[in-house]
Order: sequence, then C-alpha cells, then structure tokens
Amino acid sequence: MTLILFIVRKLGGAAAAMLTVSFLVYMALEVNVEDVAVKVLGQFSTDAQRAAWLTANGYDDPFLIRYGRWLWSFVSGNWGESTYYRAPVIDLVPDRLAASGLLAGGALLVMVPVGLFAGLLAGMRPGSLIDRAVSLLSIVTTSIPDFASAVFLSAVFVFWLNWLPGASTMLSGFSFSEMVLPVLVLAFYSTGYLARVTRASMVEVMGTHYVRTARLKGASPARIVWRHALRNALITPVTVIMLQLPWLLSGVIVVEVFYAYKGFGTLLYDAALNSDIRLVEACAMVSVLVVVATQILSDIAYGWLNPRVSLLEAAMGSK
Amino acid sequence: MRKFFLPYLSSPITVVGGLLSLGWLLIALLAPVLAPYDPIKTLMPLAKPGALNPAGGTFWLGTDMLGRDILSRLIYGARTVVVFATLATLTAYLVGVVLGLIAGYRGGRLDAVLSYFANVVLSFPVLVLYIVIIVVIGSSPFNIILAVTFGSAPAIFRIVRGITIDVASRDYVAAAITQGESAWRIMLFDILPNASGPLAVDFCLRLGYTAITIGTLGFLGLGLPPPTPDWGTMVNEGRGMAIAFPHLVIFPCLAISSLMLGLSLLADGLREVSDAQGRRA
Amino acid sequence: MKDLKTNSDRPLHSSVKDLVEQVRSGAIDRRSFLRASAWLGVSVASASVFAGMKGEAFAQTETPVDGGTLRFACQIQELTDPMLSSWIEASNLYRNSLEFLTYVDADNITHPYLAKSWTPSEDLKVWDFELDERAKWSNGDAFTPEDVIFNIERWIAPDSQSSNKTAFSAVEKVEKTGDHSVRITLSRGVSSLPEQLYSYTCPMVHRNFVKDGANWPANPIGTGPFKLESFEVGRQAVFTKRADYWGTPAHLDEIHYIDMGTDVTTHLAALASGQIDVIYRASIAEYDLMKSLPNIQVLKANPAHTLVMRMQVDAKPFDDVRVRKAIQLAADNKQMLDVAYRGEGVIGANVHVSPTQPDYFPLEPVTRDVERAKALLAEAGYKDGLDIELTLGNTQGKWEQDTAQVLQQNLAEAGIRLKLNVLPASQYWPVWDKVPFGLTYWAHRPLGSMTLDLAYRSGGAWNESHFASKEFDAALDKAMAVVDPAKRSEAMREVEQILQDNAVMVQAYWPSRFCATSMKVRNYKLHPADYFRMDGIWLAQA
Repeated sequence: MTLILFIVRKLGGAAAAMLTVSFLVYMALEVNVEDVAVKVLGQFSTDAQRAAWLTANGYDDPFLIRYGRWLWSFVSGNWGESTYYRAPVIDLVPDRLAASGLLAGGALLVMVPVGLFAGLLAGMRPGSLIDRAVSLLSIVTTSIPDFASAVFLSAVFVFWLNWLPGASTMLSGFSFSEMVLPVLVLAFYSTGYLARVTRASMVEVMGTHYVRTARLKGASPARIVWRHALRNALITPVTVIMLQLPWLLSGVIVVEVFYAYKGFGTLLYDAALNSDIRLVEACAMVSVLVVVATQILSDIAYGWLNPRVSLLEAAMGSK
Repeated sequence: MRKFFLPYLSSPITVVGGLLSLGWLLIALLAPVLAPYDPIKTLMPLAKPGALNPAGGTFWLGTDMLGRDILSRLIYGARTVVVFATLATLTAYLVGVVLGLIAGYRGGRLDAVLSYFANVVLSFPVLVLYIVIIVVIGSSPFNIILAVTFGSAPAIFRIVRGITIDVASRDYVAAAITQGESAWRIMLFDILPNASGPLAVDFCLRLGYTAITIGTLGFLGLGLPPPTPDWGTMVNEGRGMAIAFPHLVIFPCLAISSLMLGLSLLADGLREVSDAQGRRA
Repeated sequence: MKDLKTNSDRPLHSSVKDLVEQVRSGAIDRRSFLRASAWLGVSVASASVFAGMKGEAFAQTETPVDGGTLRFACQIQELTDPMLSSWIEASNLYRNSLEFLTYVDADNITHPYLAKSWTPSEDLKVWDFELDERAKWSNGDAFTPEDVIFNIERWIAPDSQSSNKTAFSAVEKVEKTGDHSVRITLSRGVSSLPEQLYSYTCPMVHRNFVKDGANWPANPIGTGPFKLESFEVGRQAVFTKRADYWGTPAHLDEIHYIDMGTDVTTHLAALASGQIDVIYRASIAEYDLMKSLPNIQVLKANPAHTLVMRMQVDAKPFDDVRVRKAIQLAADNKQMLDVAYRGEGVIGANVHVSPTQPDYFPLEPVTRDVERAKALLAEAGYKDGLDIELTLGNTQGKWEQDTAQVLQQNLAEAGIRLKLNVLPASQYWPVWDKVPFGLTYWAHRPLGSMTLDLAYRSGGAWNESHFASKEFDAALDKAMAVVDPAKRSEAMREVEQILQDNAVMVQAYWPSRFCATSMKVRNYKLHPADYFRMDGIWLAQA
C-alpha cells in the first residue's frame, strides 16, 4: 500500500516535471519559426513555398496554441517527422535508446562489480596499502575525461596492437568485440567514482559503534563485514549507481560519437547539429524521462536497503 | 593564519592538490610571461617535442599541424580554461547561492517554486542540456558561460538551501532576528559561513567538471571558435594525427587531467579537514 | 586519320582534323586529344589506337573474380530527387542504380553509356544522340527517348531548382528523332556537352518519376547494374547485383554503404581493423596515419577541387573592389598550401581554374604585397583596419579551418581583423550562398569553364558571390564553344583575367585528394570528381 502511494505520488511529480520540461524545450526550440521552414523544405526552397508551408502547418497560430497542439500530439504518440532522417521520430528513438541501454548496461556490468569490490576492499582497512592503491587509482581515473581515454584506448588497442575494431556501428548485428572499447571508456570513469563512494561509505560503517562492538565480541572480520557492515555500506553506492544512469546518458554522447555507435547519443548529436527540431525535442524529453525514472527507482532501492526510512515519509517529501 | 592553514598543510593530498591547482592558476595568470611564443602564430609545422626553432629557441612540447607552439598553446589554453571555467562556475555560484539563501530562509511558496525549477533543470543529463542550449543559441564564450550557469546553479541552489534551512532554525539566528538585523545581513554573515566547507569542496569539483565540459564541447566541435587555444579542441584537432604525432594529443590530455586531478585532490583534502574539524567541534 | 571512327559510323566532325594535326605536331598531348575527340563522338578505342596509347589505357594483369560484399564508409544523407542533390556522396549511392547518357572515366575521357553514340553539327549547336537499344529499366520498361526528354526538360523547366538549369541553360529543344534517337538543340555551340551529361545531378530517372512521387529511394527504379535493397539516412544503404542488367554485369554481389559519422579517424580505425573496405575520403590530417597502417592501400590524386573564400560583391564592405583586392594581396596562398595542407597540392591563382584542367590558361598569379593592401584599404576608407568575418563549416574536414586560420594571420599583417565563424558542416550548407564572406568547397569539374559557368555567371543558381558581369558571361560563352584544346585555353585567358581583376575570391590552392581501401579491393580508381562506378570493382580472394 505504501509502495503504491509512494509510486503514485512520485509519478505525479514526474508528470509535472515532464510538463515543465516540455514547455521549456518547446519554447527554446520553436519560438523562432523562420528557421523551421528552411530546415524542412531545404536550402533550395523559395520564400513563397516556406510561407505556404508555415501556414499549412499551423505556424501562424499564437505560440501557446501551437504548444498545446504539439503537446497533445506528443502525448498521443505523434512525435513529428525528423527532417534529417526523413522518418517519424517515434520510430527512431526506441531502437537507438535500446542500443544505448546496451552500452550503459555493459558499462554497469564492468563498473558495479569492480567498483564495489575495490571500494569495499579499500574501506575495510583504511590506510592500508590496498586502500591507498585503490584511492589513488580511482582519483586518477576520475580525472581523465572520456574523450581522452577514448583517444588513448583506441591508439593502443586499435592502431598499435590491432586487437579490437575501431568503429562500433554494429550494422551487421551485435558484435561483442565492437562493444569492448566503448564500454571500457564509459566504465573507466565511473568505476573509479563508484569505488571512491563505496570506500567512503565502508569506512564510515566500519567506524560505527555496532561494528566496533561486534569486533570487541570477537567476531571474525569476514563475519563482521558480511553480517553487519555490507548492507549499510551499500546504501550510498546503490544510490550512486542509480544516479550514474543519467551520467552515463551524457557520457554516452562522447563515446558514441567517437566510435560511430548508432545509439541515443549520436541520434541527439546529429539531431542537434542538423537542427532537427522535432528530434531534439523528443530526445530531450526522453532523456529527462530516463532520469526521472531512475530517480524513482533509486528511491525505491534506497528504501529497500534502509528499512529505517519509510517510503511513505519519502513520498510525502518531509525532508 | 598559521592555525588556519596548518591542518591543510598536514594532509599531503591537500598539498599536492593545492599545488597542482595553484600551479595552473599561476600559469594562467602569467601566461604572457611564461609562454615562449605567440600561441596563434604559425612558426614551424609539426615539430617534434624538443625540436629547435630555426629562429632561435626550442619547441619543448613540439608544434601542431599549423606550426603553433604547443607549450604556448597549453599555457594560454590554461587561461581559457581558468577564465571561462571559473567565470562560469562563479556565475553559477552567484545565482545558486543567492536563490538558495532566499529560498531556504523565506521558505513558503517562493521556495516551492524555486525548488521545483531546480529539480526540473537537474533532471536533464548535463551534456544533453549543454548541447541543446549551445545548439539553440550558438557557441560563443558568453553562451558557454550562460549554459554552465543554467546547468550548475540548481545543484548549488540545493546545497545552499539545505544548509540554510538547517542553520536558520538554530538559536543564534533567532537571536539575530530578535536583535532586528536585516534579513540579508543574517543570510550573508550568520548563515552562509556555515555552508563554506561543503561549498568549497563542491566548488573545486564543479570547477573541474566545468573545465572538462568545456573540453568535451570543444572535442565535439561545439567549443570556442578558433584560433582560441582550448585543450579539448586541441585534442580533437590532433586526433587524426595522433599515431604519427602523439604529442599533439598527449600534452593537452595531460593538462586537462592534471587540472582535474589537482582539483579533486584539493576537494578531498578540504573534505577530510572539514570533517575532522566537524568531529572535534 | 582513316583509323579514326565515330561511334555512330557517321563522318568525322571537321574539327577532328585540327586535333589530329595538333597531336602530331605536339601542340596538345595525347590525353587532350582523346578527350576532345571523344566529345565529338569519336570512338575512344579507335582514338587510342591512333594515338598509340592502347597498352597504357587497357592494361589488366589480374582476372576479376565475381562475388563478395564491399563495405564502403560514407555519410548516408537524405536522398530524394537526384537532380536536386548537392552532395556527391548521395550521387555515389544512386550511381549504382541510375545511369547517365555518357560516362566520363577517371582520366576525364568521355565514353558511351546509355547513349551509344553522339554526333554534333558543324557549329556544335545540334547534337544527335543514339540511345543503346538494349537499355532497360528495372521495372521492365525499355529506356526510350521519352525518358531523356522528360529528364532534360525537367532540369531546365522555369521552376526548376536544379543546378542543371544553369549548366544546361543553352538547351533550346530536346526532341525524339527515332525509336532510339534524340536531338538536343542548343542556342550556342557547346563542345563539352557529352562530358557535362555525366555531372552528378544528371542521372536518367524513369519518365514516371514525378508521377510516382519524385522520391527515388521510395521507388528505386533504375537502369543500372545494382538494385537498392534498403536505405536508412544516417545508418546504411545496401545495393545488390541485378541478374537482369542490360549491360556487362557487375562483379560484386552486394555493396554496403555504412555511415560512420563525419570523423575520418574513426573510418580509418574501422578500415585498419577490417570492418570496412573503402573509405570515401581522407584529408591531409589523416595522411600520416594512413601511411602508417600496414594493411591498407592509399590512393592519391590531384583533381580540380578546391576551397573558395569568396566575397559577395554586393555586400558591405566587399562591394568595394579595393577591399577585395586588399584581401587578395594580403593573402599568402603559398603559406596556406604549405601549412594548412602541408604542401600536398598545387598553388592557386584566385581564378578557380586548375592547371590540371585542359582549358587552363596560366595567368600571372597575384603576388603578395602587404603594403599595397594597406594602401588600398586606406584608400577605401579603412585607415584603422577592417573587421570582417569569414563563415565556414569544415564540410570536408578540419583543413578548411586550418586554411582560414592561416588567412587570418596573413590578413592581420595588413590590419584586417578576420573573425572566423565556424559552423557545424550541416549548418554551413543552408547558408553557403548567403553569407557575405564564406569558405566553400567546390568539387572537381572536368573543365574550368564548367565550374565558372555554375559559379560566376550572372544570376546562376550556384553563384554564391553574386558576381555579375556581361563581359565575363560573353567571354565564357566564347570559350565554351571552342573544341580545340589550345585555342580553348587561349579563350579562357580573358575569362580568368576578368575574374582576377574583379578579385572575387581567395582561392589559394588545389589540394591533393586521398582515400584508402583494404588490400583486397581491385580496380578502384580515384575518380577526380569522386564519381565512383562500382560495377568494375572486384574483391581479390584472400
């Protein structure tokens, strides 16, 4: 019951946020109508053709009416036609999003075990050699931007060693080897970040009095970690993992552009470069939807890991 | 003074981070003195690092495709990063702190509206937001600052608002109110100092992210117009030739990574010290 | 002389005699001879035997193997009406399925294609084309004179948006003269008509093209050796071999065109790791990388393609010829070539005619003179320097921007502060003919006069500089009617001179063009105009 109430409330908030986003996005992209006709009809169109097109497509109406109409068709699944791809936007987005999801999933598959394990190991004995090595390594990897690691990894594995393919278009079906480099680049940054967060969380938990009490009682270190520390130490990292999803959505742009991967990132990038307005609108809306959805999921996960926080409380937003 | 700096100096992380960050700051400030050559002048194309300039001097880090000295471009590039990233972050802070203080202190409907908008903006993935903004309004130094402000201010707003709500309920604030101090005075002198620790940490990290974002925009071809020396753009431009001439890419990558490293170390150090002080207090 | 035959078996055009005399005396080289005689309908085979070039032109050492899939990396752009396309990449897609009346090979020699022969009248105004009676559309229809008439009339219709409208402005009438013959009547003599018919905007589409929606990928009827199987903008296009092709069948079974974004480094990475077989284009920035890769072959050519930094002669401050002259005088063309393109090319003379084009006249180049540039600027009222902006889109790669950056330094010496407005490539094309000062890439044309006709004739569709001069137009008309290569280049002297005197552009150099293929690709020739016909290409078995 609480869970349902919680989800209903969250969904309400998400819908309101989406509505505001839609207004902001529409305003930013379609207040100025002159460019729209040029984009749709091409550089060789005449002024008369453009004016006729604008009238035929309702661009003479006041802004708010246009917005209302656009919102309605957006909600009812008509996302307009992409001027660059010459296809309905709604047909383009799901496949690309799934492709990016695959990439992000791969990155999570590397990042979660490695990051959690390294972080826990380091946090168990603060100040130890392992701790120092993990801390140093993670701070270094988090300092290297995506594009720099992409350049280096490509230089080494594609051009120098010739081990891996240099482009990841995946046009002839799924290819594991084409996934390796983009996933590595994405995971490179995030793993270090997750390790740092996990370590900090673990150090804190290891310092709490109940762990100290357990230690005084003579419990074995493995038992202490497994029975007492782990669950609590995981609360923050799990939230972080969830919040990494939107971050991956950003990271995905650089990586996809670099490796010519046909995902959501390149879709948005191409749409933006070609002022493909309908597509940019849809991409912006979808990416916000993804973020909002992960926020709800991370709240649920948080509540599940931390029974002291009631979902109801979280739902009412008491703090 | 010594008492203030001592805890920081005892942490090697802080010292290394501080030195790195301060180093880049100094390099940026002293760019005209330090740079051996004009960063946008063609001298000798594709000299390897350490090559001698026939007109005198040495290209310590080599030259790029257009024959411009890479060391000088890195030094002036530091200026671009420091100026634009700092300016952008500071503007974001100004907006975020002012709105955060007001929202947290006043509460009520204003707070609700501001918090709501902050949440909306924060639900955009950062780079998506920047790309949309840059595409709508075009790429210029001013527009990049505008985009960063718009994207970062909500996060700062949240931190400040949270701390303000927490502090505003304490006794000494209540005392100040009864003494008839103006709301601005209270916000600036009684509340804001409490937020300085977390804000300093956040500032360092945010500065680094902003630098990386500007670099990434440059890398995606959406950055500052040429010939402005900019690290991300340098990496992008040298990429095709990186196998034959790795120096075109390695040095700008090192520059941006070392700046980010310095700032993260500094942030870590600041956090440790402020945690330790917090525990003592 | 007796060895020379026309494709139509009609008598030789009278100008062929002059050509023969000239090639004998050495006034023109054998290639110019082949080329000019081909325009006049002389069979290339007979002309090469005559000129003693057989071995050179038809050498073949390996036996082609049929089968296999070729993977070609290039941008997959929107493609609707071929006559409107402004991207050569797009034309390389439909070139597999759509054919042209004539075919111009990598050596600029015109061959029969859908037209098996042509015969010009003495004054070069009336051209009789004989169509190949075997030619068939993929829907079973025969290729007829109606198809040709439909296409040409559509190009030159009053409301046509095609660049063909300017290129074929001399066409007065197209008429059917037999079951397989068409007559094109011109208002003025044009010698290179057969060559022009292979421009990338001139493929023959089916006579019902407009009726069927004027959208080629939606209804991909063609006469060519391949069939369009699938087409997705931004992803890929797949062509498969047609079993019922009317001509010599192609070797390849399938061609996959794959969009890998605009980044050539990624294309090379894919080539190095065996994911693709051909990259469409590489620029100077990737030259070292290409040479260092062990398993690829690098191709290099010197086509007449270039960057034109043109000034709109009716926009301030470029409406003052002194300003335009000052910019030309301050520009250092040699430095732009040496630095921005690392010397891989030939220096230009700001007139947009290349030394590799047969009608080129070697004009005295503009010598750099910063002092005079300053004086001219002062005279024009810009004593304290001038602020201008150059818009560019890096449509071919970063070397466009590099060239502009060198120009920026050159102009600074004369007190001209040049600001660069770098747009993403796709945002440049919508404004390319609108910005007052813009850097535009111009693709190769076989003849200089063909480019000038498109780009500088008064009121032309692609006249981005708004240059308008009656003398220029008249001089160009004169040059275009001349067949004799030596006389033609002499006639171009006046044309080039007018253009240079009016200082319309900085056209600094003619860059070399590079591309790369995997080792197994055979018979892939770097066509100077990037018009790739894929039916002759085959893959060696590993």
